[in-house]
Amino acid sequence: TGMENTFERKKHIRFFTRILQILPSRYAILDTSRLTVAFFALSGLGVLDALDAIPDKDKQEIIEWIYTLQVVGNKASDMETTNNYDCSHIAMTYTGLASLLILGDDLRRVNKHACLEGIKALQLPDGSFKSSYDGSENDMRFIYCACCVCTMLDDFSAINQATATNFIMKSLCHDGAFGQGPGHESHGGSTYCACASLQLMGRLTTTLSPKQLKRLEYWCISRQRNGFNGRPHKDDDTCYSFWVGASLKILGIFDLVDFKENENFVLSTQDIIVGGFAKWPQINPGNIFAADALHSYMGVCGLALMSLHSLQPVDPTLNISERARLHMQTLHE
Amino acid sequence: MSSSSDEEEVYQFYRDRAEWSDVKPIPQDDGASPVVQIAYSDKFKDAFDYFRAILHTNEKSERALELTQTAISLNPANYTVWQFRRVILQHLKKDISEEMNYLSKIIKEQPKNYQVWHHRRALVEWSRDSSKELEFTEKIIKLDQKNYHAWQHRQWVIQEFKLWDNELTFVDSLLEQDLRNNSAWNERYFIIENTTGFTDQVVNSEIQYAISKIDIATKNESAWSYLRGVLGDRSLTWSKELRDQVTAWRNDGLKSPYLVAILIDFYEEDLENKKCNVGETLGKVKELCNELANETDTIRRKYWKYVLHRLIKEYQENEP
Repeated sequence: TGMENTFERKKHIRFFTRILQILPSRYAILDTSRLTVAFFALSGLGVLDALDAIPDKDKQEIIEWIYTLQVVGNKASDMETTNNYDCSHIAMTYTGLASLLILGDDLRRVNKHACLEGIKALQLPDGSFKSSYDGSENDMRFIYCACCVCTMLDDFSAINQATATNFIMKSLCHDGAFGQGPGHESHGGSTYCACASLQLMGRLTTTLSPKQLKRLEYWCISRQRNGFNGRPHKDDDTCYSFWVGASLKILGIFDLVDFKENENFVLSTQDIIVGGFAKWPQINPGNIFAADALHSYMGVCGLALMSLHSLQPVDPTLNISERARLHMQTLHE
Repeated sequence: MSSSSDEEEVYQFYRDRAEWSDVKPIPQDDGASPVVQIAYSDKFKDAFDYFRAILHTNEKSERALELTQTAISLNPANYTVWQFRRVILQHLKKDISEEMNYLSKIIKEQPKNYQVWHHRRALVEWSRDSSKELEFTEKIIKLDQKNYHAWQHRQWVIQEFKLWDNELTFVDSLLEQDLRNNSAWNERYFIIENTTGFTDQVVNSEIQYAISKIDIATKNESAWSYLRGVLGDRSLTWSKELRDQVTAWRNDGLKSPYLVAILIDFYEEDLENKKCNVGETLGKVKELCNELANETDTIRRKYWKYVLHRLIKEYQENEP
């Protein structure tokens, strides 16, 4: 086809900086997850080593905006809120804290106690987490968010690690990988959340037996066809180059991946006109599978895991750059 | 566009509706310098300004219910709108089956949205009426055989209301259409685990089942995973039939990477149990790993070399 698979660095930087500004009205369905979109853009720029594309004044404004989203009172605590439904969302808490770290903030204005109480209130008796106090679905994603928040605030006391671990293990499938919950099909996303959560809790190798680890390794490495898929017999999708790639990194065998095929696939999903990545290859311009923030971020991280294109190394557990993680560690000292 | 008839409805902004004139809309407070702004349409801004207002006063009326419907149509992922809608439905003691009809239409349009499925589960928990759930999830699965939400909901309904009876038949019909439907294989495991359990007898019959499916498609990862999975904590060598079948397939010249992988695992068990000549067995393993790395599973060549190295390291050192 004569398509060049060059890494469109400048276009991706512009893609992410545009997202931080304004999205067209058709993105209204992202209204309740804007902070996660901001995270994809900020962390994406971080991994691209292009945070300087954001002027310092704008960085400060972004930090201010994130802090306006902090909910200090909610039904889990006695403090006042603006209305009865102004409660936090666990994924926003994770991406909000991560974004602050990426921007170099010192988290001093985070009400650590309220934040952790809020997380604590979301854990269910079976060990899993829901996303908001008013009620939502509960699954592996939110255990991961909880573990990330505890890691970033350097405090695991608010969550019951034993029951969380129990839920994770109950979600281990017959094929050796993890579903979203007990009985559910194993999946690249939930497998990532399970591995990363166990690793963040420091329990990966003490919870999974050598036999279980071997089966998990085999399942993860079997997800590669060219890029990676999230379940057997499904198509390759850019985001799994991160979800499964990072799982393999956590398991210590990422180097066994076929880097060239993985890279070729991820690059084929680039939108060479507007920048960013889509889930599937761009067969022609204006493809209906448009680049979106999530796949763009995961595409960049999928490449970063392979240390390609001068990308910053990514911490596979927190899903932020190593640099941001190091900044976090200095705050804990 | 045809000229308006009596039935045609023209959308009215809430600010123009007389019956809403008592309500003061609350604009979004997005802070001084909002990030990832969305260029909301006028319709969106208007509806959500009024939604914020009724949320603030906690108004649980018919008109509030209608407003949540508008808000949902504009952003079906707004979990606060769905939550408040549930509060209103309960307060007004609304007919759940009517709500379910409305919801089913939305799920068909947005089958991968988490909030709509959570709402469905909430309604079923509330009504304790599971009578439509198998039929509905089947409809969604027919449109997208691997829709994760549909399968999750289906599993929940089956487990909660003990609707196990016909599920194996359903799974079989899906596998008839697509033997590689991993969701269907997972469902099979789920049913058996929660009904008969994997007793020795059941494990043997499930091994036969998997073998019969592998005979049709020898490179079906789902079938091979199932085969290993039903053994549970049992070793591979627990089933003599399995070993015999795997050996027979190999002797027939079958080179499926999954067959070879399981053969390697059989040899690993032999090494573990000290039931073989170490040098000879490692030689066979080497042959198989090389076949995978160089011929039949080249994308994983580094992995198969790692597997070989791991086994050699573990067992060759102990050779006198």
